Amino acid sequence: MSGGVLRAMIRFENVTKVYEQNARPALDSVSLEINRGEFTFLVGASGSGKSTFLRLILKEDKASAGSVYVAGQNVANISSWRVPKLRRGIGVVFQDFRLLPQKNVFANVAFAMQVIGKSRSIIRETVPEVLKTVGLEGKERRMPHELSGGEQQRVAIARAVVNRPGILLADEPTGNLDPITSMGIMGVLDKINQNGTTVVMATHDDDIVNEMRRRVVELKNGKVIRDEAKALYTSMIPVVGESRRLRDASGEELDRAQGAQL
Amino acid sequence: MRLLFILGEIGSGLRRNLSMVISVVLVTFVSLTFVGAAGMLQMQINQMKGYWYDKVQVAVFLCNDGSTAVGCASGPATKEQQENLQSMLESPAVKQYINDFQFESQAEAYKHFKEQFSNSPIVDSVSEDQLPASFRINMKNPEKYQIISETFSSQPGVETVSDQRQVLERIFSWMNGASVAAVGVAAVMIFCAVLLITTTIRLSAFSRRRETGIMRLVGASKTVIQLPFILEGVIAAVVGAVLASVTLWLMAHFWLNGDLSKQFLNTPFISSTQVLVIAPVLIALGAGLAGISSLLTLRRYLKV
Repeated sequence: MSGGVLRAMIRFENVTKVYEQNARPALDSVSLEINRGEFTFLVGASGSGKSTFLRLILKEDKASAGSVYVAGQNVANISSWRVPKLRRGIGVVFQDFRLLPQKNVFANVAFAMQVIGKSRSIIRETVPEVLKTVGLEGKERRMPHELSGGEQQRVAIARAVVNRPGILLADEPTGNLDPITSMGIMGVLDKINQNGTTVVMATHDDDIVNEMRRRVVELKNGKVIRDEAKALYTSMIPVVGESRRLRDASGEELDRAQGAQL
Repeated sequence: MRLLFILGEIGSGLRRNLSMVISVVLVTFVSLTFVGAAGMLQMQINQMKGYWYDKVQVAVFLCNDGSTAVGCASGPATKEQQENLQSMLESPAVKQYINDFQFESQAEAYKHFKEQFSNSPIVDSVSEDQLPASFRINMKNPEKYQIISETFSSQPGVETVSDQRQVLERIFSWMNGASVAAVGVAAVMIFCAVLLITTTIRLSAFSRRRETGIMRLVGASKTVIQLPFILEGVIAAVVGAVLASVTLWLMAHFWLNGDLSKQFLNTPFISSTQVLVIAPVLIALGAGLAGISSLLTLRRYLKV
């Protein structure tokens, strides 16, 4: 038990989240462990609870029932003035990049260090290193609007990891990018994961999931319906009614995924 | 580093909301000027009280030819009546309340009258016997006027006992009324200022929601996120308070101690350095109001 607590970077114990009374819970008694250094895909339709899952880790929301542990600590017991400390240990990347348009690449990444009071010399040392990791060396002075979508997302990733968080949460980071650019971004995330960072990525992108072959946690209506290691976007064990409906909704996508399997 | 960062944030916030910031400055300026003016009026009242209350006297007027008061039925005050009053003033029962007293004869009263109205044609129409002789009494405590009045007004030969303080009280109550009105105007303006600061901070928080969102995500502390907004409001209000202080000082320096003191030579006006006592109060008041209203606004509109 204690070994499990230490190994688990993120642990959900019967977590339920209800946003509105009488409505279907966004998360329904979810129990899950994500270990240190693991790379986990969170898949499922819109509204299946992926974003809620990420928000609970960040303590943006409070679980209605159950406990969320991050790095062994129950987030419910973290007082509001220590929440920033929790968030310093977690990097976050979004579909829409969320860069500051009036700051250049260097300043966008440096911003994350400035606001937590890092010294100028450390910033000047660290930022170029991180930009190199994400493949943006030499583009420090560019403004966000001068960059392609993929490059902007790399800046966002650099900003998320510049303070060396133990966890990186990515909420559909490739949602706005074309397949080739997406693969590039996945390469960056993989590299960060290789360096020991626990990565949790919520995604709809079946190509990527199928290519990476990592752990896949599938949510549906707030419940975990699948948790497989080295898995594909859709289960290889057909769940009769469920996958039929998925195929009907986006038949073409599903065929392509199956094509990749073969 | 963090300090520099916060200063930079404040600068950009002030620049982005310049017109709102200027309106906050102006509204706090006007409201605090009224607060300060009320304070100055009170200081002026105290100053005049201190100055005049030492000088004002209770006057016991004796009957003269034209007196119509009940006590004067037997005609002008006689020498005996006057001596009787004098011995009463010297008696221990009365003496404990007064510092000293002088007798002003009709001739002296006429002389003072001529001096006071030297430029007025009224002097020619007044003769010596029309003016009453009087005892001028300096009270130890002017509040004890009632005792002197009760003791002397029923004495034979006394026309009336008058307290010069009553004239001053009327002026002071008028000035008090003016300072209450100034406080009333100030209260309305301060209310406006608070609403305006609230709106400004809200706009500022809205226009920078992207930055604050990112700051939150990377784990910036509440202080680093909120301080720039709070200081923005505080700086604007302090600038307004400083303008108000300067205005009040200029008023005291050029108006009270310039024009007015030349017109009213006998009136002790507050000095412009005394006004400087009000300035820190205004600045603290402005900063406090802005700080509190920004903090309350941020609690509602800026999630941390």
